[in-house]
Amino acid sequence: MIKSKTMLTETESKEFLKKAGIPVVETRLARSKREAIAISREMGFPVVLKVNSPDVVHKSDSGGVRLGLANATQVGKAYAEMLSSIRQAYPGARIHGLSVQPMAPPGVEVIIGMSKDAQFGPVLMFGLGGVLVEVLKDVSFRIVPVTERDAGDMIREIKGYPILEGYRGRDPVSVSALEELIVKVSRFVDDNPQIEELDLNPVFAYSDKAVAVDARIILEA
Amino acid sequence: MFEEKVKEFEPIFYPRSIAVVGASTKLKVGSVWVWALISGGFPGPIYPVGSGGGKIGDLEIFPRLRDIPGEIDYVIVAIPRRSVLELLDDCAAKNVKAVQFFTAGFSETGTSHGYKLEKQMLEKARRAGIRIIGPNCIGTYCPEHGIPSLLGRIGKSGTVGFLSQSGGIATKLIEVGIARHINYSKGVSFGNGIDLDASDFLQYLAADTKTRAIGAYLEGTKDGTRLFNTMKGVTRAKPLVVWKGGRTEVGARAALSHTGSLASSAAVWSAMLKQAGAIEVSGLEELTDTLLILQRLDRWPGMNAAVIGGLADGGGGISVSAGDAFAESGVNLPPLSAETEEGLSKLLGEVGSILRNPVDVSQAQPRGVATLFRAIELVAADAAIDIVLIQEDVEILLPIYSPTGLEEINRFVIELAGRQDKPVMVILPPGSAEQERLQLEQRFLAASIPVFASPERAAKAISNAGRYFCRDGA
Repeated sequence: MIKSKTMLTETESKEFLKKAGIPVVETRLARSKREAIAISREMGFPVVLKVNSPDVVHKSDSGGVRLGLANATQVGKAYAEMLSSIRQAYPGARIHGLSVQPMAPPGVEVIIGMSKDAQFGPVLMFGLGGVLVEVLKDVSFRIVPVTERDAGDMIREIKGYPILEGYRGRDPVSVSALEELIVKVSRFVDDNPQIEELDLNPVFAYSDKAVAVDARIILEA
Repeated sequence: MFEEKVKEFEPIFYPRSIAVVGASTKLKVGSVWVWALISGGFPGPIYPVGSGGGKIGDLEIFPRLRDIPGEIDYVIVAIPRRSVLELLDDCAAKNVKAVQFFTAGFSETGTSHGYKLEKQMLEKARRAGIRIIGPNCIGTYCPEHGIPSLLGRIGKSGTVGFLSQSGGIATKLIEVGIARHINYSKGVSFGNGIDLDASDFLQYLAADTKTRAIGAYLEGTKDGTRLFNTMKGVTRAKPLVVWKGGRTEVGARAALSHTGSLASSAAVWSAMLKQAGAIEVSGLEELTDTLLILQRLDRWPGMNAAVIGGLADGGGGISVSAGDAFAESGVNLPPLSAETEEGLSKLLGEVGSILRNPVDVSQAQPRGVATLFRAIELVAADAAIDIVLIQEDVEILLPIYSPTGLEEINRFVIELAGRQDKPVMVILPPGSAEQERLQLEQRFLAASIPVFASPERAAKAISNAGRYFCRDGA
């Protein structure tokens, strides 16, 4: 049986997460070029623009993400270019506008997600982000509810764990911040059974905190 | 935990009487069951039931269940599925406590008729307060109470409980158990599990005082959350080793997230087992190897092992490869203490790496068995060592020591295992002296010494058992 599903946009997803106390990078929806520039000025440069649409599944593959925009001119130019390339890649997609967010300082990219298993219900996933999750599938799982200890096991179980411990002189990331985030996500999906799938991808892990930079929530329709 | 299950399951594993429906004077499954119970020494009345009449041995075959004069606790059913509902009415009339259905052709066939029939069976059973084991199963095994496998085979009564969704795997577990002296307290194959399923049997085995460790073969579950919560409770009381069948099945998924596309059923089962504190194994060999260790353990001695090899010549490479096998399984082979090394060096006239761990004692051979025994004793007595493993390559030892010499060595190993607290285990790799090796394996197993066919298997089993005992908070 395949349920029909609805994908929330990034801004909708983050709004939902923020209310549950899950740290996300502040993100606001701009419906026009002018609005995008105004929000960017308020937030401070550099900023990131992303297409905001419930129909675009792979937004970075289709020119739907622009990073490190340093001034108003760059934001304005990017706005027009992104809309046209997204309309080419996804003709007929509903586009709410573009989301604007401050460029997060670099951290270790991780993914935290949830999907529903036919036998065990909601299951959380943890892994390193980017190519490591896509190619090497270096991820761990636990059944919801996930305790702090389970979360610690999930983090230490992945092969890439030494990257989180700091390598070549980099600061180690805060494992306890990641544990806390995983437990919060567990509680969040437990309290909201209408959520079918969830990706916080990437989450930036720092030495003192962890913040979701992008988020996707899929609801049971 | 789950103490209420002990009384509830009494009529299932310790019935006072058993009726077998589907028995006849001809060779049918029902008749095989009657013979199995007779040969197993079941202590209560056995009532064969079948429309043809006649006798099985001295036992009269009753035409109908209702014709049996005495009380019936447990009924084994091997009749066509069209008759099962009527039979359940008879069971209700006779106040039967539990029924085991060998009869197949239900939900496992995927037909709506199969599902419907199971639903009707369950409704009837619930109304009459009857518990169902199966259908499509070979049911219970309880050596202590004279309930053998369907093949009429019965091993010694012991401390391992097992459950299996598959009858074939259950039979194999019993057979391997008999061969390797893995002695079961009780076991069950529960097939489709329409009433009692894995969670129920796990709860019972967790509460059963005769059971010290539990092994399970599972393919799926209808209530994953209940199974997960049950396992969490069970592993607080006893080690639970699980072999999950059907790991490579690919489910149809329509995922819109990375997480959804990566969360395969196998990955989720493994995570669930880990989270519940169970030990996951990947096959019959690893399951029985691990149970062989767990069945005798009251407490875990520790993860520091010593491997003694090269009882005759040629110990170098064997010791090195054994070292690799243990390291790869995460079992620690710590260096021996300075005193032990010094003692070995005096005895064997050697210094250097061969006296580290794994220990190559091949230099004892020209000095005689007394020196060999003293060397083994020194290693076993080392305070840094929790588990002692001795590797014997029978086809190499035989020509060097002669059968008499080898016999002396084995008597010593058995005697050593008996007089000290640390577990002694033996690695007996197959070679060209299989007959002698198998005889020797039986002798060690009978003396409660676990035997493994390779260092890899020994290391994996030790590592599995250790993972349960050494987890945080255990």
